Amino acid sequence: MKHLNIIETYKANTVYEGEKIPALFDITFSINQGDFVCIIGPNGAGKTTLLETLNGLLPHTSGQIIIMGYDIQKNGVYLRKQIGYVPQEFTVDPLSPFLVKDIVLMGRYGRVGLLKKISQKDYNLLEESLRFMGIEDLKCRPIGKLSGGQLQKVMLARVLAKQPVLLLLDEPFSNLDFRTTHQAIKLFSRAHDEKGWTTLMVMHDLNMIPERCNRIIHLEEGRITKDGSPDQVLTEELLTIGTREG
Amino acid sequence: MSIFTILPLKTLIIILSGTCLAGVVCSLIGTFIVRMKLTSLGFCMSHAAFAGSALGLALGLPPLWIALAFSILVAFILGPLTDQSRLQPEIILGILFSLTMALGLTFLNFIPDSAMSTTAMSILWGSILGISYLDILRLAILTFSIIILVTLFFKEFHAIMFDRKMAEASGIPTKPFYYLILFLTGITVAVSLKLVGGLLIFALIVNPASAAYQFFYDFKKILLFSPLFGILFSLTGLLLSFFLDFPVGSSIAIVSSVGFGIAVVLSPKKRKG
Repeated sequence: MKHLNIIETYKANTVYEGEKIPALFDITFSINQGDFVCIIGPNGAGKTTLLETLNGLLPHTSGQIIIMGYDIQKNGVYLRKQIGYVPQEFTVDPLSPFLVKDIVLMGRYGRVGLLKKISQKDYNLLEESLRFMGIEDLKCRPIGKLSGGQLQKVMLARVLAKQPVLLLLDEPFSNLDFRTTHQAIKLFSRAHDEKGWTTLMVMHDLNMIPERCNRIIHLEEGRITKDGSPDQVLTEELLTIGTREG
Repeated sequence: MSIFTILPLKTLIIILSGTCLAGVVCSLIGTFIVRMKLTSLGFCMSHAAFAGSALGLALGLPPLWIALAFSILVAFILGPLTDQSRLQPEIILGILFSLTMALGLTFLNFIPDSAMSTTAMSILWGSILGISYLDILRLAILTFSIIILVTLFFKEFHAIMFDRKMAEASGIPTKPFYYLILFLTGITVAVSLKLVGGLLIFALIVNPASAAYQFFYDFKKILLFSPLFGILFSLTGLLLSFFLDFPVGSSIAIVSSVGFGIAVVLSPKKRKG
């Protein structure tokens, strides 16, 4: 089923428990299918909160959030099967009893569904994702033994294996070196077009915003302060502040 | 004269089957409890069972069923209370532990006959020789049911054991499965109480699973080896109790603790790289 607007939010607020000031305030925007959107803003602007509110992990306290035509609050489990999410700075316990192949395959579990077996197609997607990220050699390594950069690649492979409709990436390349970041951005931009994804990516380093990105949303203190094409949003002033912060 | 010549063969088979089944079911559920860092759960539920059996005896109701109801009640309370209070489950368990212990001691005062108080206390210490066909049947049904559930919902349990938030993000409804583990732990504790006793069942839930975690990085292998260690530790504990005339629960706790110690020494995870 095709939805022209993959995301539609209307006056959405998110307030953390025990807090009075909303972490997200009056968020209204819509995102079309196939858009590659970068979310930028200073620390504590609400970028991560926005991604977690969009996939329903964090409930919004008022307003409306419609994903692929469904209310995220009422259809969270169904929608999250189709949303790929890579969290910021994911860490695992060094003795964690899971192998890399388990973690990547887990990306498929929601899509496979309850009481259904993992099929050959799922195993093929596991292999394909590992190859795509260039980490086939890590397949049987314990997840807790990986470096931060390797772990980030595994989390990206996991989301690739899921074959999502909507991709939410929270500073997905923060642990990768300069060269690998460039390669990963290239790979993800290519996959975005080939697989017809809609991508929302939180970026801290404004110099690393992918060329493929066609829209930037700037958040500050939980509000959208700028929203437009990269040329419109990335003013000289913002780039100077961004470079200083980054 | 050896215990094997004193006990009739039928009784011996019942005791051995009960020991193996308790070893399997406790250590299987222990695999989840250890990974979820809920090791106080067994301790808390066994005291809930003690409180339940004391209440049952005070009211003239079957103590095992009331013990079962109390353990399951803890399981039902723990999940929602942890989610609502936003506190670590261990804190809620600490509160529930003191509450169930206090209730148990209070109910004990209302038991008219002191001999019956001993029955309530036996829930804490266990009594292998009193195990019946019906107890074996209950243990067998529970073990079989847990194995079936784990097999049917392996994907969901596997993902939740890695990271609950990531499992939720991948489209798995984690809450029912999380609560199911707590619920199964409640039943496991209550059904195994007669064999190992409330105070020491904790050892059979935690030790074999913790020993298996020392050897493997693969959760599937841990799920397989934890029950095997459970059988090994509980049977060795049983034999030790027969030959040295130790209480069964204590023997199983000692053997499983030694077994865990050996696993730590032999653990390949200690090696670097």
